[in-house]
Amino acid sequence: MNNILTTLLILAVFSIGSMAQDKGSVLIQNTTLMTITDGIIENGDILIVDGIITAIGSDLSAPSDVPVVDGTGKYVMPGIIDAHSHLNTVSTNEARNPVTAEVTMEESINPNSVSIYRALAGGVTSIHLMHGSANVIGGQGETLKLRYGVSQDEMRFDQAKRTIKFALGENPTRVHGQGNGIQPRTRMGVEQIIRSHFDEALDYRIQREAYLAAKEAYQKDRRGRIAPPVPVAKNLRYDVLNDIIDGDILVHCHSYRADEILMLMRVFNDYGIKNYTFQHANEAFKVAPEIAKNGAYTSVFADWWAYKFEVYYSTAYNATILNENGVTNSINSDSNELIRHLNHEAAKTVRYGETSEADALKMITINPAKQLGIDEMVGSLEIGKQGDVAIWSGHPLSIYSKVEHTYIDGKKYFDLIMDPVDMRISVDSDDSYTDTGFNNFIQGREEDSCMSDVFELIQQ
Amino acid sequence: MKIKTTFVGVASFLGMLLVWPHMPSMAQEVPAHAITNVTIHMADGATLERADIVWRNGIIEQVGVDETIPFDAFVIDGGDSLHVYPGLIDGMATWGSPEAPRDLPRLENPGKPPYDRAGAQPQRVPEHYLNEDKALEAAMKAGFTLVALGLDGQMLPGHIQPFNISAPKLTQAHAFSDPLALQGSFETAPGGWGSGAYPSTQMGVMAYFRQLMYDATALQEHMMYFEKHSEMTQPEQNEVLEALFPLVNKEQPLYFEVDSKEEIERLFRLQDEFGFDVVLVSAKEASALSTELKARNIPVIASLDVTDMPDWLEKENKEAKKDDEEGSESSEEGDSEDADYSEDAESEDLTEEELMFRSKQKEAWEKELNNVSALLEAGIPTGFTSAGLNPKELQQKVNLVTENSPLSMNDIIELMTVNNAQILGISNRVGTIKEGNSAHLILTDGPLFEKGTNIHIQVSQGVINDFMED
Repeated sequence: MNNILTTLLILAVFSIGSMAQDKGSVLIQNTTLMTITDGIIENGDILIVDGIITAIGSDLSAPSDVPVVDGTGKYVMPGIIDAHSHLNTVSTNEARNPVTAEVTMEESINPNSVSIYRALAGGVTSIHLMHGSANVIGGQGETLKLRYGVSQDEMRFDQAKRTIKFALGENPTRVHGQGNGIQPRTRMGVEQIIRSHFDEALDYRIQREAYLAAKEAYQKDRRGRIAPPVPVAKNLRYDVLNDIIDGDILVHCHSYRADEILMLMRVFNDYGIKNYTFQHANEAFKVAPEIAKNGAYTSVFADWWAYKFEVYYSTAYNATILNENGVTNSINSDSNELIRHLNHEAAKTVRYGETSEADALKMITINPAKQLGIDEMVGSLEIGKQGDVAIWSGHPLSIYSKVEHTYIDGKKYFDLIMDPVDMRISVDSDDSYTDTGFNNFIQGREEDSCMSDVFELIQQ
Repeated sequence: MKIKTTFVGVASFLGMLLVWPHMPSMAQEVPAHAITNVTIHMADGATLERADIVWRNGIIEQVGVDETIPFDAFVIDGGDSLHVYPGLIDGMATWGSPEAPRDLPRLENPGKPPYDRAGAQPQRVPEHYLNEDKALEAAMKAGFTLVALGLDGQMLPGHIQPFNISAPKLTQAHAFSDPLALQGSFETAPGGWGSGAYPSTQMGVMAYFRQLMYDATALQEHMMYFEKHSEMTQPEQNEVLEALFPLVNKEQPLYFEVDSKEEIERLFRLQDEFGFDVVLVSAKEASALSTELKARNIPVIASLDVTDMPDWLEKENKEAKKDDEEGSESSEEGDSEDADYSEDAESEDLTEEELMFRSKQKEAWEKELNNVSALLEAGIPTGFTSAGLNPKELQQKVNLVTENSPLSMNDIIELMTVNNAQILGISNRVGTIKEGNSAHLILTDGPLFEKGTNIHIQVSQGVINDFMED
């Protein structure tokens, strides 16, 4: 009997996978809608058709083939967006050079990690999969939708803005300065790495464009009077750096101290770079007005610090102070454990700093969406936006509330009642049941997950 | 058992190379060889009973029944009970390759390593690097007569070059042809934290590979300009980038060792960007991407080194078999209840979660074992690499595959002969036993891969190795 049940459950799970790219439809009725951008609607209905929110109101009706969910006593809110995650990377740090703008997390996605499912159970629908913090200019990030069971390519958030990781302070100086005896050894060196690489990239662009123009002239010249140019090879690293300068890539910068936050804003002003986010930013509260003035964003922890020297001067009021100063701030996890209850992390801003509940919820929905350039598509309950929503058993900021359903593009990816005992979707022939790391995954907060595979490298 | 090369003085061997392909005017100067009165197995499983085969200068001259054996032929009489098969071809191996250097010195700047320390050595050609290797001796005894050799390394270890296997130390003289492809993988730069270098991750390897291709493209263009305009700045000499020109120009395929579905998909990205042909090597999860492989016209040289049956499944199968036997015995004795009781007790120890895990693992293992048959079913050219298995392991894996997938022994022989020859692009010369083909044969005392069958003689490009002497 058990085996039959097991087989049925497996079939249910795998059918999620095979149909995942399909968009779904659902009507959730008579519920409390936390719209984020338009207040709270009591006793409301929300209709998602083919992946898009098509109606919000009351007494909505749906075509007969659309499943209807009774939301009485429950809360519907947009799916949580985590602006800082290494949830399902293949590797996190290409830590052997201080600048590795050419690598991309798009090519480091593990679509089979069960951590995706665990995040879904926390009502998370999108994450910003980031490169680690070993390098001053790390790799490009990739914004994902947590469509558990699809291919790596199908996990990508279509039309999300390109992003890249920068890192200041102790991590890059420790890895490269102390580790390899090369620049940067100090915070001053970190600044110069950024400036010199932008300058090199700009020089390269001039040379490359001159070469391409000369080549064209040479090819058009039929009389053979024009000499051919010495070719300038396409340079992937510099191309990406130029895309940052051109505003095509949003920078997300790992940073802690106020002085280095100010430093980066000065550097970016010199190169005309806008729309960037300070990640972690534990001392951002000290320079909140300056951050607001520059139009920069922050993405912080609710109350996590003291795991290295530069993170001692911290406060649980950071998010609230930033918010009060008009900075668009998000609360992130940077942890495969924390990602399962980011609602609690947002609630802490209410508890500590008396941030409004509405603003607290923005910090895990529309604000991270803005920081990732996806706020036109997700982050709030609005007609025309994508149907990434979660149904909560109670108020999402309550410690007692649980996620009951999680939908992406109107398709259900998590159901508390139908939650099978084993959600692995990829088991290797030679995996051991006990040694796969599956059962001992959470042992409290992961220390410095940004640096995880660097430590592994050092241990090798 | 010591291998003896019976035919061949150095002079006659070189002579044989010189006369390839056919040079009839010289042909009569070298004596012929013949194996008579044997069962000849064609690659497709068809057989010729009491047949003869004659070759000279490494080329098969006659195959058939009641052939007139040339007067000068050195004859091996099969005595009606021996079998001849086409020599096995290993689709890709690194036998004879020098080992990757250990204790690499620490680099001053690991972010800008020399090419070799990054793992890029595409300029290496096997014929200049091969060492004596016991594995080659083992391969000969296992029935291999030809191998596409690559080198041990990382992202771009060198070229792929086919060799006749007739000695444990292969040299330029044993090369079957010039290199026919470049070799690649997603392996990162050698060395750990102390002496490692960029690229240290798969995403880094992909970026580094792209940059190499861009640099090679620019260098080639520079060289073309310089040929016409000697007054301009001279291009740099760069054997690494120059070795990549065939890839840039899409003239040679990239033999890429890769297993997981996700990694194969990442390789597709590189292929889309640069447009070169790809042959997958090892490719344990390739069948998950059959449609895509078919559309891209990508052949697969699959690893025969399949995973052994999971321990728990083997145990379960054994117990089921035992219970069956005991069941039939004990029903007569009337004490079957005890056996049933113990079985139930054990399965109750497993959580529902572990039961689900097992059912998924069984499915994954069966899928792996059926990888090659699924690829063939989808119409994808597929062959086999022995993946460095010794003859005993090879036999064990062949049994595993034939017992747990639709592939028969004959299918496996076909995969390791004619299919591999087709993928390597040398099927006009090897892979089948017919007149005009190179003489790559094995003589056995029973059906190949069956228990108790010995390989008596291995013939590679006409050169005989007799394992039954002394």
